[in-house]
Amino acid sequence: MRVVTVGTGMAAAEFVQRLRLDGFDGEIVMCSDEDFAPYSPCVIPFYLAGEPLETVYWKGKDFYDQYRVTARLGDSVVEVDAERRLVRTAAGRSETYDRLFYATGARSWYPRPDWLETTGVFGFKTLTDMVAIDRYVREQGITKAVVFGGGFIGVDAALALWHRGLEITLVHRNTRLLSQMTDEDGGQFATRKLAEKTGINIRLKTTVEEISASNGQLASVRFSDGSSMETAMLIVSIGVSPNSEPLRGDDKGVPSDPQMLADAGIYTAGDVAVTRHAVTGASGIYATYPNAMQQARIAARHLLHNDGAFSGSVNTNVLKKHIDFPIVSAGSFSGEAVTWQDGDIWRRVYLQDGKINGYIIIGDTRMSGYIYQLYLSRKRVDQTILKTLSAPRHDSYYRSMLGLGGSAMAMA
Amino acid sequence: MKRIFVDYKKCLACKACETACAIEHHPGHSLLAALGDQKTQVNVRVLGIEHEAFPLSCRHCEPAECLNACPSGAITCDPETGAVLLNPALCKACAMCAMVCPFDAISFKHTHRAPYDRDVAYKCDLCNDRIKEGGTPACVEACHSGALIYAEYDATRTNRATKSLRTYLLGVEGMPPLLELFRELRRKEFARRSGGV
Repeated sequence: MRVVTVGTGMAAAEFVQRLRLDGFDGEIVMCSDEDFAPYSPCVIPFYLAGEPLETVYWKGKDFYDQYRVTARLGDSVVEVDAERRLVRTAAGRSETYDRLFYATGARSWYPRPDWLETTGVFGFKTLTDMVAIDRYVREQGITKAVVFGGGFIGVDAALALWHRGLEITLVHRNTRLLSQMTDEDGGQFATRKLAEKTGINIRLKTTVEEISASNGQLASVRFSDGSSMETAMLIVSIGVSPNSEPLRGDDKGVPSDPQMLADAGIYTAGDVAVTRHAVTGASGIYATYPNAMQQARIAARHLLHNDGAFSGSVNTNVLKKHIDFPIVSAGSFSGEAVTWQDGDIWRRVYLQDGKINGYIIIGDTRMSGYIYQLYLSRKRVDQTILKTLSAPRHDSYYRSMLGLGGSAMAMA
Repeated sequence: MKRIFVDYKKCLACKACETACAIEHHPGHSLLAALGDQKTQVNVRVLGIEHEAFPLSCRHCEPAECLNACPSGAITCDPETGAVLLNPALCKACAMCAMVCPFDAISFKHTHRAPYDRDVAYKCDLCNDRIKEGGTPACVEACHSGALIYAEYDATRTNRATKSLRTYLLGVEGMPPLLELFRELRRKEFARRSGGV
């Protein structure tokens, strides 16, 4: 059997590793438009912050050799011909498959793609982006930058470059940073604290309207409020869109079934896959590593053993990179809010029918795993949750297990 | 494979486990070196809960949620011992592991093992080097009251292990009379301090 992966990202690497560890002996071909061994997108910003490039290859730089993979790199797949079971690349090559693993991830979305023709304007998504930014900062002696977009990737970019010592202006359209993973209050708290702790100049309810160049190199940016700023570097990180066109003809992602099949003989996983949420059942793209990893494992198991089913994705996420100030969240932010705050720590749980509907934990990771388990378990916690959130020693779980104080219900 | 079990009713909260762990994981391997050193790493924490005490550390789950959540390849499982290990050279302190750990067993700090100038995640390593040489974890060796026991782990408990601490709790068999007396005194002292009878 010949297995082809479109993509060499985290899902594809996990899938291939699982196949090999489980004894799959057939041919495996991995295709990517980039030229690298599988790398971790979560780790790559640390390369910019000055840490070794080697650490991005989270399953080893020799991945392709180690798992006997034929790597077709530097050539993007532009079409999947499901009828003839082959994929075609931009360079005109084709690869036939018996099983296809389609995990192309997502790409940066640019409001003005033409901006990228100006030297000094970058996306912040791929290792190719990181290598280009690093070289530009070194060669041009860049000391300040504007980051446009304050979602997860934008904040990650701002913090990585701040970690490197650059003076950062972070421009965001919304009323708060990280607007997808926070509610209004939590997001504003996090935004304020991040500004205090880093000195990053955060400009909310603002966008970058226009850029101007001098000799092809970025010279300044103009904001939506009419003001301008001189800068030789702009990172555009306002959103991503899934790379689903070669398979689906549009960029709305790839719908999957519980076996992670998108079509006969075609599996999908990761940031391109549309899956159901484990708790709410809502279909969507849940682009985090733990989801991608589980989906890839389900696909590998189904390919080899024809069994297994994906229990659903969880939209849990945490931003705690480059700075010891974590922001954790999951679920949806509606229902009855129970809030607790003390200094730099802010915690809120949303309850519906007494069960956790969503939560935001800022400033401290302690107890976040316990809340996560309570969220997944769908237990009623309305009698105990405030005590759990405010327990000064974060000991609610241990209390419940020891049968003391009854501040939280025991987990099964 | 063996794991660390807890018979918490025998815990005197003497913190000998914490001290032994700090020494074991300190590059100086001595109490004097570890004392007052901000980078000292203590992988076990004695949690005082009312009149009880509980030595809290990583339970080395199988499957381990932290391992499955780690996007940097820093967390692995030693197939020989079952120890869930964290490599600080690969750790980016992104907290994905802490976000899912049911036991609150992962912390962050700029330890002696942190290779870059920032914090890393740290947790119990089951004293993997010691147990591979036939020894026991430092905390277990240091525990004089029998609250920490390094014992064979029943694989049938595995599935529950990732979700419930109960798997790792031992009964109160063979409680020595003096320990019963100690517990009684501690209970009364706690009641007195918290204004009870």
